[in-house]
Amino acid sequence: MLNALIVVWRESLEAMLVIGILLAWIARQPDPAPLRRGLWFGVLAGLGLAVVLGFATFAAQSQLQGEALEAFQVGMVLFAAALIVQMVIWMRRHGRRMKQQLEEQASRSSGAIGIGAITALAVAREGTETVVFLYGLGLGAGGTTLLGVIAAAAAGFALAAMSGWVIARGARFLSYRVLFRTSEILLLLIAGSLLAAGIDRMIGMDWLPSQLDPALLDPFWDTSALLDDRRGAGRVLADFLGYRARPSGILLIAYAAFWTLTLGGLAYLGRVPQHAHAAKAR
Amino acid sequence: MRVLHRLLFIAGLIGCTGIASAAELATYSVVIKDGQIIPARLEVPAGKKIKLTIKNEGPGPCEFENLDLRVEKVLAPGASSFVVIHSLKPGSYRFFDEFHPSTSEMLLIVK
Repeated sequence: MLNALIVVWRESLEAMLVIGILLAWIARQPDPAPLRRGLWFGVLAGLGLAVVLGFATFAAQSQLQGEALEAFQVGMVLFAAALIVQMVIWMRRHGRRMKQQLEEQASRSSGAIGIGAITALAVAREGTETVVFLYGLGLGAGGTTLLGVIAAAAAGFALAAMSGWVIARGARFLSYRVLFRTSEILLLLIAGSLLAAGIDRMIGMDWLPSQLDPALLDPFWDTSALLDDRRGAGRVLADFLGYRARPSGILLIAYAAFWTLTLGGLAYLGRVPQHAHAAKAR
Repeated sequence: MRVLHRLLFIAGLIGCTGIASAAELATYSVVIKDGQIIPARLEVPAGKKIKLTIKNEGPGPCEFENLDLRVEKVLAPGASSFVVIHSLKPGSYRFFDEFHPSTSEMLLIVK
């Protein structure tokens, strides 16, 4: 439940950040009223797109059966994990210059329709990401009810609105940077748990090559005496972070690869581009 | 030529291990009907790879689930599926149909 909340919180905060930047830019324009209408229309259109994608996902799910359904679900879980990593790296790379880029786009676009299109794209992007993440999370953690996910999503949205409002008021104790750094770490951990869920499912369907069996598919070690992943704190860690008391070798390899690539990717691709440094120095 | 040999070798390897694991894999069938899981109790050996085949004989959809093992299978009426479980520890694992949580139960006893 907690991971659904975090995902929705972060995604909504990103969307609100975009809307906030554009609203501030619009307020400085000579004729703000139509632009503002265009912006809110864009918000609605973006949300609409996300909802359509959500329905399409569930429609696809209800059309599929047996192995195809399993493949679709595993695909979605792994896709969600990859998408989280991609999003974190993208924000690390572009987040700092987002304001500047958005304002450039806004001034290049002609009028209300252009503003609406920029907003719609941004909101649709965050919205569709949310749909994919929530779907993957719902499959990842067993026993999640739709109602619980909706409640968590609503709480996440409210939290985003609150933190956005607090930051906009200029609170010193909260900054976007701290919030985004914190959510980055949480999101990457969630991506790791999605990866674990995907691999567990693949093992359950016997899809991994039989050459790996039993050395890499059987449990590699057993820490259930120390921390049982079936109840209590271990259970929370299992659903939230992908902890396994008896991990298969292939899961350990996947984790190692995941964290190496992700942290390496963040260190390498996530660097602030050179010209931004130069611009800052000036 | 060398590539061909290697490919043949790999194909052979896959074939052999495929047959070997298929022969070893102990399969147990589970049927879900009218909100009941049949059998209500299933004994399997510990430390072995097992396969449960699950068939939903209806009338409604079902969700065959165990929280400890993170098994979750949604089945439409008439649909069937399976799950492969690696090396269970001795103990008992409770499976239920999430759509009929009060009437359905299957205890998987691992010895």
